[in-house]
Amino acid sequence: MSETPRFDALVIGAGIAGLQAAVDLADQGFKVAIVERDPSIGGAMIALSKVFPTLDCASCITTPKMAAVARHPNITTFTYTEVLSVGRAGDRFVASVLSKPRYVDEEACIGCRKCEYACPVEVVDEFDGRLGARRAAYIPFTTAIPQTALIDADNCTLCGACVRACPTDAVVLDQRPREWQLEATAVVAATGWKLTPVGAKPQYGGGEITNVLEPTQMERLLAPHGPYGRVIRPSDGKIPESVAYVQCAGSRDQTLGVSYCSRVCCMYAIKQAMLLSGSLPIADITIYYMDIRAFGKGYEEFYRSAQAMGIEFVKGKVARLTENDDQSVTVRVERLDQFGQVEERRHDLVVLSLGMLPGEDVRQRFDLEVAEDGFVMTPQPKDAPCRTTVDGIFVAGTASGPKDIVDTIVEAGAAATEASLYISKMIAAAETATAASSADVTSPAADRVEVKV
Amino acid sequence: MAEDAAPKIGVYVCHCGGNISDIADPETVARFASGLPGVAVARTNMFMCSDPGQKLIADDIQAGLVDRVVVAACSPKLHELTFRSVLQRNGLNPYLYEHANIREQVSWATSDHAEATAKSESIVAAAVAKAGRLQPLDPIVVETTPCAAVLGAGVAGLRAARDLAQAGIEVALVEKTAALGGNVAKLDRLFPNQESAGELIGRLVDEVLHDERITLYTLASIDRAEGYVGNFTLHLRQKAGGVVVDRAARLNGRTIGAYRPFEGFMIGDHGAAEEGQNGDDERAVVIEAGALVVATGFEHYTPTKGEYGYERLPQVVTLPDFIELMAGVEPGSRLEHDGRPIKSVGFIHCVGSRQVEGVNKPQADGEINEYCSRVCCTATLAAICDLQEKCPGVAVYDFYQDIRAYGRGHEEYYEKASKGGAVFVRFAGAEPPAVAKAPAGDPCLVTVRCKDGLTWGEEVEAGVDLLVLAVGMTPSDVSTLVDSLKLPVGTDRFLLEVHPKLRPVELAVNGVLVAGASQGPKDVTEATATASAAAAKAMTLLSSGRIELDPFVATVDSQRCEGHGLCVEECAYPGALVLTEENGATRAIVNAALCTGCGACVAVCPTNAIDVAGWTLGQYEAMVDALLAEPQEVTP
Amino acid sequence: MNAPGTTALSAQKILVLATATCAYPAADATGQAHLHYPANAFIMRVPSPVLFPDEFYFRCFEKGIGGILVMSCGHECPYAGAFAKLAARIDRVKLGLKERQIDPGRIRLSAICTVCTKPFLKEIDELNSLLATPSEEAIA
Repeated sequence: MSETPRFDALVIGAGIAGLQAAVDLADQGFKVAIVERDPSIGGAMIALSKVFPTLDCASCITTPKMAAVARHPNITTFTYTEVLSVGRAGDRFVASVLSKPRYVDEEACIGCRKCEYACPVEVVDEFDGRLGARRAAYIPFTTAIPQTALIDADNCTLCGACVRACPTDAVVLDQRPREWQLEATAVVAATGWKLTPVGAKPQYGGGEITNVLEPTQMERLLAPHGPYGRVIRPSDGKIPESVAYVQCAGSRDQTLGVSYCSRVCCMYAIKQAMLLSGSLPIADITIYYMDIRAFGKGYEEFYRSAQAMGIEFVKGKVARLTENDDQSVTVRVERLDQFGQVEERRHDLVVLSLGMLPGEDVRQRFDLEVAEDGFVMTPQPKDAPCRTTVDGIFVAGTASGPKDIVDTIVEAGAAATEASLYISKMIAAAETATAASSADVTSPAADRVEVKV
Repeated sequence: MAEDAAPKIGVYVCHCGGNISDIADPETVARFASGLPGVAVARTNMFMCSDPGQKLIADDIQAGLVDRVVVAACSPKLHELTFRSVLQRNGLNPYLYEHANIREQVSWATSDHAEATAKSESIVAAAVAKAGRLQPLDPIVVETTPCAAVLGAGVAGLRAARDLAQAGIEVALVEKTAALGGNVAKLDRLFPNQESAGELIGRLVDEVLHDERITLYTLASIDRAEGYVGNFTLHLRQKAGGVVVDRAARLNGRTIGAYRPFEGFMIGDHGAAEEGQNGDDERAVVIEAGALVVATGFEHYTPTKGEYGYERLPQVVTLPDFIELMAGVEPGSRLEHDGRPIKSVGFIHCVGSRQVEGVNKPQADGEINEYCSRVCCTATLAAICDLQEKCPGVAVYDFYQDIRAYGRGHEEYYEKASKGGAVFVRFAGAEPPAVAKAPAGDPCLVTVRCKDGLTWGEEVEAGVDLLVLAVGMTPSDVSTLVDSLKLPVGTDRFLLEVHPKLRPVELAVNGVLVAGASQGPKDVTEATATASAAAAKAMTLLSSGRIELDPFVATVDSQRCEGHGLCVEECAYPGALVLTEENGATRAIVNAALCTGCGACVAVCPTNAIDVAGWTLGQYEAMVDALLAEPQEVTP
Repeated sequence: MNAPGTTALSAQKILVLATATCAYPAADATGQAHLHYPANAFIMRVPSPVLFPDEFYFRCFEKGIGGILVMSCGHECPYAGAFAKLAARIDRVKLGLKERQIDPGRIRLSAICTVCTKPFLKEIDELNSLLATPSEEAIA
């Protein structure tokens, strides 16, 4: 086996948190490996339409960070690669990783998409919120990095069309998964989040009502390069005249085991509502909510402009969603502002403001502890929010609880600082150990400083 | 490239995934551009900022087709640097690049397709005209002072100082009060883990006081600041009794301190006095620093007199007052305030936050606070839980707009308070609760009246013995720093970061970073996270001992300069422009590190001998000409 | 938004000299909010308009620019003393325009901050109205 590659830091996950942490470490001169299990870096943010409260297009903010990582001389990016386990070996960590087969030679592929155009198999496209289709041979999305095709083995019929179409003979149908190891002094876990399941609540249709959407699906409908290029109702292509948001559809609900607030749903619902009133000027937009949590910088102002735009905010608890014959959805709401009086309203489209779950159970890969909510435990949440229960492993972004993009990026910078200090400390310790033991290191007068609490 | 060789300009027009191409037609614009003088190639791409988009440029440069680049896309603030670095990576000087903004300033500002396409063409024509007159520029290299100044020793400042020092950087930590710990020291237990504020501050102070790379100044305020990235000078005024903890003081070994609840960590009888630094008079201190971390924090909103009865009724207190009161209450004991037993407590949220124009009374400066202060909901709920735990019989009324218990572990306080019997009454921002002294004979002292948003807007009245106002955050006064360094401030009057996502802890003044609540309301977790993130940026700036600055400064053509000196009179920056004798002739000379590139000198030069590099008058004249040129017909 | 009978394509061009730190971001913010304005307004980014000598403005009008909006940062200007110098210069240019029989209203100085989308639009609309109704009387 070839020599195990060594890095100063291993960043797990190339969403916005991982990208920021990697750049901040690399800018300080540290060698960084960033490992992403998806075929492209970019994470959840790259699939969003626009982001609150500035309404910048999400691509415009994410692509420069993706490009910065991809081109940084101190960063090595591994995509379509999973970290199987991270263990400690002396003063460093050893990660076992699995590079999944793309069935395409990454060096040879020029990203021309001829395989994609030739492939006869159409598959539901997860990136487009399952609203559009892709081929079995594909590049994940327009701005993907790397621009390398891959073949979805589960759906490939082995017809050979891609092999014939490829101008560089890059298709390698007998590629095998490759398990290998890398070493790093510090680890930043940026393993992200996933949506609370859309079908979790039977009273909301259990995921069976076509025109009840996940918020990420609405993001794709609103994205300029989304599946339909405009906002239409998935069931029949109708341009919706009335859209409703059901807040706390996956959070603050003990029956779902998610008692916490997911922190982003109020703001993304308001943002989507504002974008919808731009693209569907005559549509009525209603947000059914318990509390509007517009707590961040500029968020309250954003909420107020949504109110001024005519978006209706109804304080109430949505008890049930039912599908009507015309494929509209009836929302049965207990008006909290009217003594709990029950009201029923029809909407063409309903978006469930689902919450955030941990992206994974990190205990399967690390020796880390998680808190009751399932997210990575941070034993010093106030003064060292990126520290975990293992010295040398730091956490960034939504791996330690729901967070919006602004807070995630700041926290990634903080995780980079923690990791940087840890790496420097380990390097210094190694140097001291190797230096002649006779060296008399004069310590500062620190031990004479008395601190009483 | 030979000086006289004709430029070969590449023009690249972005579709921006429809953001541009839905309104203006990139293909038509590119066709038009291909006919402009000096243009070698004109191409389009779905996303110029993407890898394939950048590769288009790279390939053309590598093939020798182009030696100057114009990209017509979004605002330059998003991708000017992206494309400059494409040039650099491919061996071209990065300043041979010009950006044409056809998204924010065309496709998003115009709905007419023909107008948008024509406007894009004119903008591209102007950019091409400028590109043809661009000169290669080299960044100005500045040696950096290997020290960072951290302003404010609250939790954010302490954390930033500790991070920087541990990274090997000398730190000057400047605190305007006598105590360390800032506003957090005025708290008791912190949500969500109920850690004591004293323990938390003690831990941070311990690290700061032990690190010999940190020099601490207390009772020191900023008079004035000057300089630029890498070389800032801070002029401090240290009041009598102010402490300096430096290496000498540490060696004296008498840097003793103690945490005093609700005051902060006080540096006690210290060695610095022996150095004569600690007399009765104020003294001036000058600090040189390569980077600044502004962690000056917040002030609690002070209600105006009479706002919810504040300063009119003795039973009306602020949340920080209440927290201090509760800290002294033993579990199971009787709650008293002002010598009277308290049987019911009311809480009003959003005092000084989420204010509505025409409803809330403006502050002394005429401003109202539209923003949410982020921490008060959970802080109030935590205080209610504390009250319910220590004094179970006390009735609680909570008047709120929205309960914003957003953070990890916050919702639990809401649940606990509800289960503990707190009565929640929802008010609308436009109709805040009315507070009055209870009529004589009423068992309670204060009445709070409010339309209840939870019960059809019916009027509810609660009698309470104590009313707690959950006051929000307002920025600390950092006007001397803001004025002298020209720091940007947002409409909410907090320091304004460059971009909340792209550069969240950087201010527009290069080398000045922001941490904690000086940027906007934050809880302790968020404040320390921004502090560490700011430290990461400062570490990057100071680690190599030198930084590179934009080369957009005044340059003098010594052939044209006749030494009139009008430019020197016009220049507002001492030392940036000086007259010197050169071979017997008087000539103007620019100090590039001090020049800000404002161009005041350019306008007054009688011989047109001065220009700002990258923004020359000749380039502007050419752009105006290009804008006014009649559109040429280009056959597809 | 255009005067009756004109379109942005046929209208005289407006040159907007916008400071890189204040007015240029305001123009971006206007676009980001999808607030529309006539397409005859062309924004040129400048570090500070203080760099343009008087003659630059006169030449612009000679070349055929319809009007000029000088959008500075006002008192928020990041450059010491630049706003006062600029304001004095624009006053002089107005006098010079009168001498040249050009309506001095065709050059306007304003302070536009990064979030000033409405004042930004107002400046463009007001100058456009003036350009659409040329009157000899306006030249005092």
